[in-house]
Amino acid sequence: MQALYIPASNETPEIHFDYASHQLAIRGESYPENAMSFYAPVRASLQSYLEAGHGGAPIRVEIALRYFNSASTKLIRALVAMLNATAVAGRKVILDWHHDAEDDMMIEFGQDLSEEHNAIEFHAVAQAEACAA
Amino acid sequence: MQTAARPAANAPHRLAGRAADLLIDAPTVSPAHTNQDVFQLFDHHPALSGLPVIEDGRPIGLINRNIFMDSFARPFHREVYSHKSCIAFMDKSPLVVEAATPLQELSFRAVEHGGKTLTDGFIVTADGDYTGMGTGIDLVRAISELQAERNRQVMESIAYASVIQRSFLRPSREALQKLLPDHLLLWEPRDTVGGDAFYFTPRGAGFVATLFDCTGHGVPGAFMTLIMASFIENALIAEPDCSLTALLGRVNRGVKRALGQIDHSHADESESQERSDDGMDGGFLAWEPATRTLRYAGARTPLLLLRPGAAEVEQIDGDRAGVGYAGTPLEQAWTEQALTLEPGTLVCVASDGLYDQPGGPKRIAFGRKRLYALLLEHRAAPLPQLRQALVAAYGDWQGEEPRRDDLSVLAFRI
Repeated sequence: MQALYIPASNETPEIHFDYASHQLAIRGESYPENAMSFYAPVRASLQSYLEAGHGGAPIRVEIALRYFNSASTKLIRALVAMLNATAVAGRKVILDWHHDAEDDMMIEFGQDLSEEHNAIEFHAVAQAEACAA
Repeated sequence: MQTAARPAANAPHRLAGRAADLLIDAPTVSPAHTNQDVFQLFDHHPALSGLPVIEDGRPIGLINRNIFMDSFARPFHREVYSHKSCIAFMDKSPLVVEAATPLQELSFRAVEHGGKTLTDGFIVTADGDYTGMGTGIDLVRAISELQAERNRQVMESIAYASVIQRSFLRPSREALQKLLPDHLLLWEPRDTVGGDAFYFTPRGAGFVATLFDCTGHGVPGAFMTLIMASFIENALIAEPDCSLTALLGRVNRGVKRALGQIDHSHADESESQERSDDGMDGGFLAWEPATRTLRYAGARTPLLLLRPGAAEVEQIDGDRAGVGYAGTPLEQAWTEQALTLEPGTLVCVASDGLYDQPGGPKRIAFGRKRLYALLLEHRAAPLPQLRQALVAAYGDWQGEEPRRDDLSVLAFRI
């Protein structure tokens, strides 16, 4: 399956879903005016990847976001929920949640996500330095 | 050699501009003309950047001044080409557009055509027959004017929308000022109008207050605040004893029904993109002075209390469900918490625009800690002073970062 790569813009994150290696990454910031139109194709692509199964190969997800607005929050939650459903069905999913060590809002959001979607193996990855611009 | 006619006096208005509006006086040549003729034309018309070549009324190419002059200046070219047809050096595929082509479309086609249109200009036809040509610089100018005019119209319209949104918040502001003179109300929409709003109304000897943050900002956010406010007002009428659980339940059901956000799980991908999934987060407060009871219900919004003598800010979390969203059940019940407050307690609610704004040396969120520190530092000061400190701290934190969201904060001492 073709990898999904969308470069970052001012208001949208970089999406790099490398399906061949089962590594999925979302990095940057997310506050597009129309979050749905940005995330709908991302969701569709992830959906077909997850449906293909790939013999249950473990999935490694990296989320490294500095900022997202509330509309993006819902859609990021929806992506994580899809991954969680896959994890519930027995496929291993590891989520590395990158946040700045002092960013209490990101820490809190990560904790929320891990509690809501507990089939995913969740790692909070604290970074002493903010992710590179 | 002919000179194209000027555009008709009744040229369409600039906003609905078309290619025909950009016609300039320009000589043309035919294949019967020689390169020597072309040379003389360019020589006599120093401003002429391109020369259309017309055959039987139809454009067949465009001669670019610089390319032509460079070629002609090469050793022996003049001797070899002077008396040959001018088609030798013409560009056989210039941009040709019909006179009725809207300027916007013309600009897209010019870009697709590559940079040469900007230097050489473009040819305008009517039913394929040559009518004249336009220059790249005129096209750029017309597009800039068009954009500036559209931008001005949109900004004027939003500025007026802001007048409406502010008027509609005024009764709440006035009631707040009257009942709680020592208060702080910060309301800063990111884009002139916004999705944050507040509602404050006396109730019995006390009051009901809400600070809410609708999905989106700008114009769509502002639409949502009006929808929400009308549901909140109606719910307040329908719930005279003002149970906040009942109030939020009503607003939730009302919004979900009004926007058709009952259940999207069966919608297919294309349909779900068209459908809204909008709602609000917010904090709802009801104060009864006789018992000194503050009741609170929050949708993804914490209430902050700083009691007299307390060492820390107390954070009372709301429920995790947002109001009205497609994913929130129709029968969702938000928890109402009753808190007895000692006189002098500082009460504060803020939208996520405050907490989530990135900034500071590491470009991370403003967060809760910075707000709590400010509340502690200014716990005894009049609230306008806290407001000043908060605005300054937030501004410093934001620094050069763009504002990400609408910002609102309500605080008072009771």
